[in-house]
Amino acid sequence: MQIIENSKVKEKLYIEKLENGLTIMVIPKKGIQKKYIIWGTNYGSNDSTFIVPGESEITEVPKGVAHFLEHKLFEQENGRNSLDVLTSLGVNANAYTTNNHTAYLYECTDNFYEALDEFMDYVQHPYFTDENVEKEKGIIGQEIMMYDDYPDWKVYLNALECMYHKNPVKLDITGTIETISKIDKDILYKCYNTFYNPSNMAMVISGDFEPEKLLKEIKNRLIDNKSNGEIKRIYEEEPKEIVKNKAEQNMEVSKPLYAIGIKDVPPEEKEKVKKHISIEILLNMIIGASSELYKELYDIGNSYSVPSIEYEFDKTYAHILITGQSNNPEELFSMLKKRVNNISRSGVDEKDFERIRKMIYGEYVKEYNDVTSISRMFLSDYFKGINSFDYLEEINTINVEYLNQVLKDVFKEENMIISVVRN
Amino acid sequence: MKYNRIDIKDGIKLHTIQTDKFKTNLIAIMLTTKLDKQNVTRNALIPAVLRRGTASLKTQEEINKKLEDMYGASFDCGLDKTGDNQVLKFYIESVNDGFLPQDEENMLKISLENIFELVFNPYLENGCFKKEYVEQEKENLKQIIEGKIDNKARYALDRCIEEMYKNEPFGLYKYGYVEDLNNINEKNLYEYYINLIDQCKIDIFVSGILDNNIEEIIKNNQNINKLGQRNPEYIMPEIKPKIAQKENVIQESMEVSQGKLVIGLDLDIDNEDLRYDAMIYNTLLGGSANSKLFQNVREKASLAYTASSSYYRFKNNVFINCGIEIENYNKALDIIKQQIEEMKKGEFTEEEVENAKQGIIAAIKSIDDEQDTEITYFFGQELSKNKLELDKYMERVSKINKQNVIDIANKVSINTVYFLKN
Repeated sequence: MQIIENSKVKEKLYIEKLENGLTIMVIPKKGIQKKYIIWGTNYGSNDSTFIVPGESEITEVPKGVAHFLEHKLFEQENGRNSLDVLTSLGVNANAYTTNNHTAYLYECTDNFYEALDEFMDYVQHPYFTDENVEKEKGIIGQEIMMYDDYPDWKVYLNALECMYHKNPVKLDITGTIETISKIDKDILYKCYNTFYNPSNMAMVISGDFEPEKLLKEIKNRLIDNKSNGEIKRIYEEEPKEIVKNKAEQNMEVSKPLYAIGIKDVPPEEKEKVKKHISIEILLNMIIGASSELYKELYDIGNSYSVPSIEYEFDKTYAHILITGQSNNPEELFSMLKKRVNNISRSGVDEKDFERIRKMIYGEYVKEYNDVTSISRMFLSDYFKGINSFDYLEEINTINVEYLNQVLKDVFKEENMIISVVRN
Repeated sequence: MKYNRIDIKDGIKLHTIQTDKFKTNLIAIMLTTKLDKQNVTRNALIPAVLRRGTASLKTQEEINKKLEDMYGASFDCGLDKTGDNQVLKFYIESVNDGFLPQDEENMLKISLENIFELVFNPYLENGCFKKEYVEQEKENLKQIIEGKIDNKARYALDRCIEEMYKNEPFGLYKYGYVEDLNNINEKNLYEYYINLIDQCKIDIFVSGILDNNIEEIIKNNQNINKLGQRNPEYIMPEIKPKIAQKENVIQESMEVSQGKLVIGLDLDIDNEDLRYDAMIYNTLLGGSANSKLFQNVREKASLAYTASSSYYRFKNNVFINCGIEIENYNKALDIIKQQIEEMKKGEFTEEEVENAKQGIIAAIKSIDDEQDTEITYFFGQELSKNKLELDKYMERVSKINKQNVIDIANKVSINTVYFLKN
């Protein structure tokens, strides 16, 4: 295995790409009881139009298949459910679906290899029947309705709808009651066979392991499967412009929730980490806990907690989201625009920048405290083409000039939108 | 990991957890006082006001700048209802020196100094809290209290607890009550704070790579030194018999698309030691993916996405949570009641009991893999009468058998069925 060492956090990454295309990453943690494994496929809710390798026709499936597959993969031909089997081994198993990947995982202290038998078996052996697919529609239907009652989820989705014309990132990961009603076992098998190929997958493990020995154990449990070649994913071209600058929805909430979005273009391949860090620094300078703007908002009773800030990006989309609760989101939005304008004109403050950089560096270091956050971070970064260690290194290459440039390029008023949920 | 506990003064304890598993040091201060209606709102307000300024860092902007400069040290406050106590919690987490550029100072020491300043040396004007801070935080707290309707599932659980513990401390909402805010001002709140600091139980936790002289550093800190000894008023959890009563059924309406069903169960146990058996009971009923609720309400009947239960060991209650189609209320309730009955009849296997034990033991084993979990565990022990080392805890759990769980199941009765619909 190739070893990549990071001297800042004093951790090592062991990485190997197998012949069948599967990437395996191990981050050993000596003396930790907990072991964590996560196995993901680069297939999420965004991938509903594609060309199966070896075919020439475009395949289009209903929205929500990736998430549906995640639910159904646990079902086994012998009538057992792998989630039950894993739970009875005393391990804690789960799965989740995002826009660009689906992941299966478990954590445990004992029985790691017994659980690995079951884990690798069920991910590699789907078993879908008309009956078990129908039954799942009721459960997922309730999951969709549960999200319907989350105002923070609604305000988020509405913000994406303001920004995106075509990109499927704006859609519910679960699909809708209507789209999932069209899912059947043939669709599930087709998507499984296309996207659950080892060459489209990666596995991350963290805990007290001997990496080479672990690798051997994993290889022993892999079924014979060849790399099936490139999957062409088809996304309609997304205009640079936003759709509309405002969305509003009424729900029973105590005070308005808002999500301010700034639409961006997907970052250049070699710049994405640096750009991501820079945007985090800028957002903290503009509206973070120590910013002038936050102080002002607090003093006038507009907001009483620091907004959450995030830069979400992948190969086909990129945007900033600032979310929180405010007594007057529209006022906050206009103050934010004004603040961005002021900083653009004066340039960022060197002292603020150094302080915020220290803070963000500390936050990156803290990510390495436990095996769960390490594994999840390495997996999701991997599917974006990033080695997570890069954040610890690239942060030192950023300077004030670069920040000023990003501020000018990204924080454009015409790309800003606001979504509000209020009573 | 090495845990040590010493008395700094009567009523003030220092707990040190020496561990090299983490990149960070975590310090926690817990102020424990008995929960009552008269004080619950004031207690909720105090952390918010302290967060606004210290004698040396007068504004929250200065505090935040200081924390950012300490490589993003994070300072958090929280409130907990632990049995009949209210706990005001303060945490500071900072990166350990080993993972910082070499010229940095002793981050643990700086973190200790700062958290002690924040909790024990607030910014004052005219001998009391700053008026502006108190007024703003009253407004802020009012909005937090009103915000309890925002998370519908949590709201349903809180309402169920409130109904079960009407006129009792545990039924109080931990953030307090809007009507009680009116009488609070910067003077009486400061008087109350001084009283609290003088009389409450104080526990200080320090976890991380610690210096040998950590006790000395803390004892000699001015803010700690000035605290007096005390005989703190707090409530050790006691086992109270549950009085059998007719089950209470409550339905309320809100704008929800999914109904939230919460069922509060009483466990009438007479021995503190039976709590471990109750944990296994809960795992089998609704505490895992193998549980009766998950299997029958979700997997078989396809009625819900969430169907689970949790055990409140300080109060000996189990709360069942379910998100269901509103029209399926009776169907779901029937299935849930059937599961409670099946538990009584012992319709589960030895193997299921063994699996549940394994799950709990795995959780105990990994307690010291997370700093805050570890602190929460030791603090829970501090508030219990019977203190149990981690390995004794595992040993106790491993002895539980099927009959023990059936015995618990037969001490269970439904107290309240709460349903939030539209």
